[in-house]
Amino acid sequence: MFESLVSKRAAVLAACLSGLALSPAISPAFAAWQPTKPIEIIVPAGAGGASDQMARMMQAAIQNNKLSPTPVVVTLKGGANGGEGLMDMLASAGDPYKMVISNSAIYTLPLANKLPFDWRKLTPISILAFDNFVLWVNANAPYANAQEFLAAVKKEPAGSFKLGGTGSKREDHILAAAVERIAGVKFSYIPYKSGGEAATQLVGDHIKANVNNPSENIAVWRAGQVKALCVFDNEPMNYEAKVTADLSWKDIPTCKSQGVDFQWIMLRGVFLPSGVTPDQVAFYQELLGKLVETTEFKEYLEKQALKPSDLKGEEMVKFLEKDEALYKDLMTQSGFVATN
Amino acid sequence: MSDDPNAEVDPALVSTRSVEVVVMALLLCVAVFLGWDNWRIGAGWAPDGPQAGYFPFYLSVLLGGASLVGIASALRSEELRDEIFVGRSAFGRVLRVFIPTILFVLLVQLLGLYVASFVFVSAFMIFIGKLSVWKSILTGLIFSGLMFYIFDMQFNVLLPKGPLEAAFGF
Amino acid sequence: MEALDSLFHGFGVLLTAHNMMLMLVGICLGILVGVLPGLGGPNGVAILLPLTFTMDPTSAIVLLSCIYWGALFGGAITSILFNIPGEAWSVATTFDGYPMAQKGEAAEALTAAFTASFVGSIVAVMLITFLAPWIASFALRFGPPEFFAVYLLTFCSFVGLGKEARHKIIISLTIGFLLAAVGMDTVSGELRMTFGSIEMLRGFDFLVAVIGLFGISEILLAMEEHLAFKGQEAKIRLSVVWRTWLTLPRYWMTLLRSSAIGCWLGVTPGGAIAASFMGYNLAKRFSRDGAQFGKGKIEGVLAPETAAHAAGTSALLPMLALGIPGSGTAAVLLGGLMVWGLQPGPLLFVEQKDFVWGLIASMYLGNIAGLIIVLATVPLFASVLRVPFATIAPMIIVSCAVGAFAVQNAMFDIWLMLGFGIVGYVFKKIGIPLAPMTLALVLGDKAEDAFRQSMIGLDGGIGIFWSNKLVGTITTLALIMLFWPLIGRAIDMIRGSGHASPASAASSESSRP
Repeated sequence: MFESLVSKRAAVLAACLSGLALSPAISPAFAAWQPTKPIEIIVPAGAGGASDQMARMMQAAIQNNKLSPTPVVVTLKGGANGGEGLMDMLASAGDPYKMVISNSAIYTLPLANKLPFDWRKLTPISILAFDNFVLWVNANAPYANAQEFLAAVKKEPAGSFKLGGTGSKREDHILAAAVERIAGVKFSYIPYKSGGEAATQLVGDHIKANVNNPSENIAVWRAGQVKALCVFDNEPMNYEAKVTADLSWKDIPTCKSQGVDFQWIMLRGVFLPSGVTPDQVAFYQELLGKLVETTEFKEYLEKQALKPSDLKGEEMVKFLEKDEALYKDLMTQSGFVATN
Repeated sequence: MSDDPNAEVDPALVSTRSVEVVVMALLLCVAVFLGWDNWRIGAGWAPDGPQAGYFPFYLSVLLGGASLVGIASALRSEELRDEIFVGRSAFGRVLRVFIPTILFVLLVQLLGLYVASFVFVSAFMIFIGKLSVWKSILTGLIFSGLMFYIFDMQFNVLLPKGPLEAAFGF
Repeated sequence: MEALDSLFHGFGVLLTAHNMMLMLVGICLGILVGVLPGLGGPNGVAILLPLTFTMDPTSAIVLLSCIYWGALFGGAITSILFNIPGEAWSVATTFDGYPMAQKGEAAEALTAAFTASFVGSIVAVMLITFLAPWIASFALRFGPPEFFAVYLLTFCSFVGLGKEARHKIIISLTIGFLLAAVGMDTVSGELRMTFGSIEMLRGFDFLVAVIGLFGISEILLAMEEHLAFKGQEAKIRLSVVWRTWLTLPRYWMTLLRSSAIGCWLGVTPGGAIAASFMGYNLAKRFSRDGAQFGKGKIEGVLAPETAAHAAGTSALLPMLALGIPGSGTAAVLLGGLMVWGLQPGPLLFVEQKDFVWGLIASMYLGNIAGLIIVLATVPLFASVLRVPFATIAPMIIVSCAVGAFAVQNAMFDIWLMLGFGIVGYVFKKIGIPLAPMTLALVLGDKAEDAFRQSMIGLDGGIGIFWSNKLVGTITTLALIMLFWPLIGRAIDMIRGSGHASPASAASSESSRP
C-alpha cells in the first residue's frame, strides 16, 4: 500500500521534473494548464460535517479515477462557522491550488457578522449540488403531517416548542424564522454545533423538531426514530429508492402542498481564489465536469439525497446574486443582519 | 533546583516579586480590555438566557479581581521579594534557546519549514551544542530530508514551503 | 450469548494475514504519532485517511483505529520521560509520571501507564461489546442541561484541589475560559473577542496551547538549569514489569473508578482530555494520601491513563451508533465511514456486522498487540535521552512547530505556540497552575453552549438543572464535589480530630517547587 503511493508519487515527481517544458505524459493534455503540486480542498466547516464528507468524497473520486495528475489534500478551516476558510481564500489571490467547497455561509457571514467577505472576490467555478431542507419530528410525535404539527404549535403558548438547528443566524435559523412568519407561529430556536447533534437531540426528545438536511437525518430516519413531515422545495425530491422500510425521499410531500409555501435550498459550490487565469479555471471546470460523472459522485448524491446541479460560469453568478438577495431580504426581516 | 551549583553564585536578574507584580498588572489590563469589549456586545441576561458577552464579561471581572489580589499579595510578601525569579546566567541560557527559536519561526515564514529546520538544527548543534560542524550539518540534512520524505512525499501533509522547494517544482 | 457470537465472528473477519499486518503497521505508526508532541491522534488519522480510500472498510477501520490506539499509548512516553505531553490527553500523566521518572522510576511509571491504558480500553471495549444498544439509548437522554451538568461535575471535581494560592487557580481558570470563548459564539452567532482580526476567527486551539504551555516552556526550563533534559534513563526489564504488575491489584479501586469515568465521558462527549483530568482529580481526592499526589505517586499515573484510554475507546460508540463523534479522532473516522460507503447510525450494527464486529475485535487484539509493542519499544524511546540535548532540543522544537501548524494549517499558530511557551514558562515559575487553564480551554465553550441552550425556551431557568432524575443527580454530585473540602472538614470535626485538614494547610504553604 505504501509502495504504491510512493511509486505514484515518484512518477508524478519524475513527470514534473523531466517534463516541465515537454507535455506531461501522465494524463492527456485536456487543458492548457496542469497542476504540478497537490491541490488543496478547503473545507470551511468542522470534521465529519456535510462539507467535510463532500470533500473526502471528491478526494476519493479524483484519486481513484486519476482525474488529476497531482494528489488532492483536504484542509479543514472551520473557525467562525467557516469564516476562517473563506477569509483564507480571499487572502490566497492568484493561487490555483486552492479550491473551497462553500455553502450559504458566503452570504450569512458578511451579513450577520460583518465579516469583510464577498463571494465576488472569488472565482466561482461551479455549483455541484443543492441541499434540501426537511421538517422532521420525533417518530413518537402525534402529528401525521405539517398542518397538524403547525396547528399543535399554534395551540401551545408561543415559544414552548423547541426547534433545533445548526448554528445561529444561519440557514436553519433563517428557515425557522421564515416558517414562523408564514405559519404565524413562534418556536424557541435552539442552536447546536452540528446537524448530527440536532438529529440526536430530536431522537432524544430534547427538541420537538428540526429542519436538518436529508443527509444529516438519514441514519435516524432509516432507524425509524424520526418522521419527515415535508420538504421545503417546490417539488418532491427525485430519489425513488426506498430509504426506510416503506418510504423513499420522493414520498416526502412538499411543504407547499401542506400550506407552507416556501422554497429553501442550499448550494454546495466550488470557488477558486481571485486572480486565477482562464486556463486554470478551464482545468477545474473540466475536472469537476468529470467528477460529477464518476460513480462515486453519483452514489454520493443519491446517498445524501442531494439535488444535482450543473450551474457554472455566468449562470452560477446569476444564481448567486439572486440567492444572496433572498438571504439578505429574509435575514433583514428576521433581524439577523448586524447593525452596529 | 538546589543541586545546581550555579544557583548560589548566579546574581539575580529580577526578583520573583517584581515578575509577579508585572504579570498580574498585565493580566489586569487584559481583564479590563476584555471586560470592556464584552460589555460592548452585550453582557446582560436576555429573555432567552445570557447574552453573548455575559460569561466572558464576568470572567473578565473575576480575572481582574484575582489579579488585583495577586498584586496585593505579591507586594506584601517578604519571601517573594528575596526570591530570585531567574539569575543572570540562567536567563542567558534561556535566551540562547529562545532567540534561535524565534529566528527559526521567522525562517519558516521566509524559507519554508524544511529549509528552516535544517538551518535551525545544524546551527543549534554547532553554536550552542559546540558539536562538530560536519556532524551537525549531516544531522540537519538527514532530519529535514526525513521530514520532507514523510510529510510531503508519503502523506501529502502541506507544511510551509519556500523558494527552494518551489525551484524544484514542489 | 448473541454478543459473544458476533464477537467471534468479528475475530474471524480480523484474523487474516492482511488485516493483522495492517493492525501492526497502524499501531507502530500510532505510537510514533503519539510520541511526537503536536502530531496528535486526530492528525495522524486524518493524514492517513486518503490511503484507505481504496481499501475495504473493515481493513481501513482496522488500520485507522489501530493508529488511534497506538497514539493513545504513545502519548504517555514523552509525558513521563520529558514532562512534555505527546498528546493533549496525557497532560495529566505528567503530574506524577515525570516526578516518578525523576526519582528513577521511569520504567515503573511507563509500565503503569501502558498497563493502565490497556485496562481502560479493555473495560471500554467490553462495555461496547455487551452494552452497546443500552449505552446508545442512554446517551440519547443527554440534552443541554445534562451536558452542562456533566461539565460542571468535571470542573467541580477539580476546584479546591490545587496546592496553589486560590487567586492563582482562579486566574488560570478564567484565562482558560476566556480563551475558549474567542471566536464564533454558537448560541448567538456573534463573533467575540476577535477584534476584527482574521487570525482570531478560528479561536484558540487547545492543541496549540498545550504544545506551547507544556512543550516549549519545558525546553526553556530545561535550558535554564543546564544544557540537558532532566529526563531519566528508562530501561524496562521484565522484572520491573512484573514487579509493577504485582503492585497494581492494590489500586483496583482507582482503575475501576477511572475506567467508569472514562467510559462515561467518552460516551457523553466530554472526551479523553476531560476524562484524564477528572480521573486524576478523583483519584487524588479519594486517595488515602492525596497530599502525595504530584510528587511521583503511581496512582497519579494510573488514574489519568486509564480514564483517557477508556474515554478514547468508548468515544467510538456514539460515533458508530448515533453518528455523533465523541472525540476529534472519532470525527475524522466519521468522515472516513462515509467515504467507505457506510452510514453510521442505529442501523450500522444491524447492517454492517462484519465491519462493526471486525472493529470491536480489533479493539481487543489491537490493545493487546499495542501493549506488547510499547513495552518492547520503551528502551528505544528511552535511548533518545542519551542523544545530546543540543541535538534533540531543536528537533523537539521543530516537531512542536509542525504540530502547531498542522492543527489548522496556519502559520499564525506557530507564533501563538511561542507565545504560549513564554506564558507557560513564566506561569510555571510564579506558581500559576497550568492544568485548570487547559481544562477550561477544552470544556469552556461546550459548557457555556450547553448552559445557554438550556436557558432557551419557556422552561429555561436554573431549575432546569434539577428537572429530572438524571440531571438532578449529576448536578447535585457536582455540588457535593465542589464543597467536598468543607464536607470533609465537617466530618473531621464530628469525629473530633482537632488538627487542620490537609487541604487548608496546603493552600497556605508556598507553591513553588
